[in-house]
Amino acid sequence: MKPLDLRTTLRDSVLEIRGEGKAGGGLVLAFQSLASLALTDPNLNVQEWPFFSSARRGANIRSYVRISARPIRIACEVTRPSLVLLMDEGAARSVDFALGVPPGGTFVLNTRHSPEVCAKHYRLSGRVVTISGDEIGLKYLKASIGNVSAYVAMAHAIGGFAPETMIDTFVYALQKRRIPETVLQRNREALEASLTEVKEGVFDEAKPGDHALPPFAGYGDLPVGAQTALRLSQSNLTAYYARSGLRLQFSDPDGNCNGCGHCITNCPEGIIHWEPHPEKGLRVTGSDVTSYCKLCAECISVCPENLFSEVPFAETWKEAEVSS
Amino acid sequence: MSTELGAPAARVTTPSGDWYPDAIDLAAVKAAHIPLYTERTDITSDGNQAAAVAGLQMWRCLIYAGFPITPSTKWAEFSAATVNSQKGSKKRVKLIEAEHAVADYLAAAAAACRDLIFTTATSAVGLDHMYETVKSLGASGLGNVMIVNVYRATANYPLCIEGDPSDTLGQRDSGMIQISCRGKQQIYDTILQMPCVSMHPEVLTPSMPGFYGIKDSHRNARLTCEPDAAIHEFQDRWIKPCPLPGLINGDTAMGNCVTSRFFQGFKVAQKRRFEKVFDVLPKVGADFERTFGRPGISFFETVGWPESGGVDLAVVSMGPDFGTFEEIRESYAKTHGLKVAGMCIRLLSPFPREAVREKLRRARVVLVVNQAHHQSRGHLTLDVADALCNIPSPPAVVSTFCGMGGADVSEATWEAMLDSGRRALSGDMPPPYQIFHEGAAL
Repeated sequence: MKPLDLRTTLRDSVLEIRGEGKAGGGLVLAFQSLASLALTDPNLNVQEWPFFSSARRGANIRSYVRISARPIRIACEVTRPSLVLLMDEGAARSVDFALGVPPGGTFVLNTRHSPEVCAKHYRLSGRVVTISGDEIGLKYLKASIGNVSAYVAMAHAIGGFAPETMIDTFVYALQKRRIPETVLQRNREALEASLTEVKEGVFDEAKPGDHALPPFAGYGDLPVGAQTALRLSQSNLTAYYARSGLRLQFSDPDGNCNGCGHCITNCPEGIIHWEPHPEKGLRVTGSDVTSYCKLCAECISVCPENLFSEVPFAETWKEAEVSS
Repeated sequence: MSTELGAPAARVTTPSGDWYPDAIDLAAVKAAHIPLYTERTDITSDGNQAAAVAGLQMWRCLIYAGFPITPSTKWAEFSAATVNSQKGSKKRVKLIEAEHAVADYLAAAAAACRDLIFTTATSAVGLDHMYETVKSLGASGLGNVMIVNVYRATANYPLCIEGDPSDTLGQRDSGMIQISCRGKQQIYDTILQMPCVSMHPEVLTPSMPGFYGIKDSHRNARLTCEPDAAIHEFQDRWIKPCPLPGLINGDTAMGNCVTSRFFQGFKVAQKRRFEKVFDVLPKVGADFERTFGRPGISFFETVGWPESGGVDLAVVSMGPDFGTFEEIRESYAKTHGLKVAGMCIRLLSPFPREAVREKLRRARVVLVVNQAHHQSRGHLTLDVADALCNIPSPPAVVSTFCGMGGADVSEATWEAMLDSGRRALSGDMPPPYQIFHEGAAL
């Protein structure tokens, strides 16, 4: 299986790129910067746009780029990208980031895992490029934001861009957002560090039918008030909208819950567990964070005893599924 | 901006009231303009920024009114940030604290300073809230008002921030000149040209250039910006001192109009001015093309029409999704052995029915693609059918809907719609309208 040459693709037709991430993670900036980077070549045309709705921080979002030496007329969404980016592995819990990628495509992942491990886990056939962007972000930007490295890894995957141009383009995008000079300098350092941290390999781990585009099966009957039905749906797991890597924790080893019930009345998902209490009226015992807690933090802010908190939660690959 | 304090402004008495032609020193306004670009410059831009840059480069545009509403918010943000970064700039961005008041502000300011341009950008709910004043503006004669409409599905349930043109098509009868754009360059170029049309002495009608929300407002591409000086030279060729002191006054707009002997004349004049767009717009577009070397504003764009004008299947649509049709047109035509051509409508109001009829009269089937909710066969379908109605043997009209609520219009969807038009060629006429999504008829 021979990987597709992305430079040939953009020269002869249109290089289509799709990225999956979570709102607030910098995916849009990475794609905008990649578009600007491509436009530093006067012979290239670009089309770049984000795809999101009323997405709050932590919700899944998507971005697209088309790059071509020809004028780009096509305007529909990218469904068969030659290059895909998985910016946040939490996003892969609810979408197949490799959906529609042809054999030999390029897969860029912001992950601590090696290209080989990723290829096996996500069943990828093609060129797999990885970079530990969150760790680089943590080191230089004091936050686990991997967009700086993801941008570098994508530019590396396409090839043909000078490192200085890659750095200058990203920093210019930040300057347009009026980022202070000290933060710009940290981003420069993160960009430079990313240049040497890209790993890649070519693998053939996809099985027949993996990542195939499903046919559109229609909407079925939509009742009046369908939005409400969706909101109450058992399959609309709002926990997917939580910020990646964090989970709500309730801890009351000393029985400090005073039974005020503020957490129960303020929780928009109704997931606070409680039991009757002879003196306090009720006593909170915990919360069901498996499906519906989106980490809105209402309970954290209203609890007078500070019994709720956010705690780090390692994404487990057991939850990621490959469509087939 | 005004004459020296204490110096009485010249007053001219006109049938519509007093006019103070020297109240604003236009030469001083022009001299105060700080250029954004002194030479042709390529930038990366989305649709909102392209619209904002064009406005900021006009010396006549001093005040930008706005209320943030998705997806047009970045227009105001970019305008404010740019003005703020220009040291000594006389331009001002005014945040109006209610959407309906933006149009009120534009009307009042434009009536007071009719040689300057007053603009805003809005979407769906914002435009809905401006509705009453927008309709008054349409009749006002204030060609110096430009409402940039960033299309968004009209406010309804469930809330949708994506772009379909239902908001702008809901304003078809407001009396504004409505022109649709696609792509960053066309947005920028159109904003530069519209005041030349709307402030033309024979037109004097406010304008509403627009483009699709999200699909164009949030999509980045290369944008070539012209130097401010060249833009000024172009616009100054067309924009002359306004000959009338605005048409909003007690006798016509606010008084007992029905019984006024002037009322009928007023409305007839409004309609006549509106129709003058058909004469002026192509001339402005041609001058723009001569000046800057890019296509100027036009009634519509076409692709794939042979010299003879005869085609099997003619597609009529609007907006950026037309580009996807352009991408697949040749291969589809070749596969099926058909002559397939396309028409991307730009001028929505007044609808150029004569030009549309002339272009479509030799098509066998006309496939009209609508993207906004409509209780019947679709806004564009009705306009096209109206344009074709008095042809002896008119082409069959096939009406489709897709992309409503800003949904994606994929290649498969285009092919499915083209298949529907192709079946009509062999006499298999579809229902009055069909809805398509993801390659399927729903």
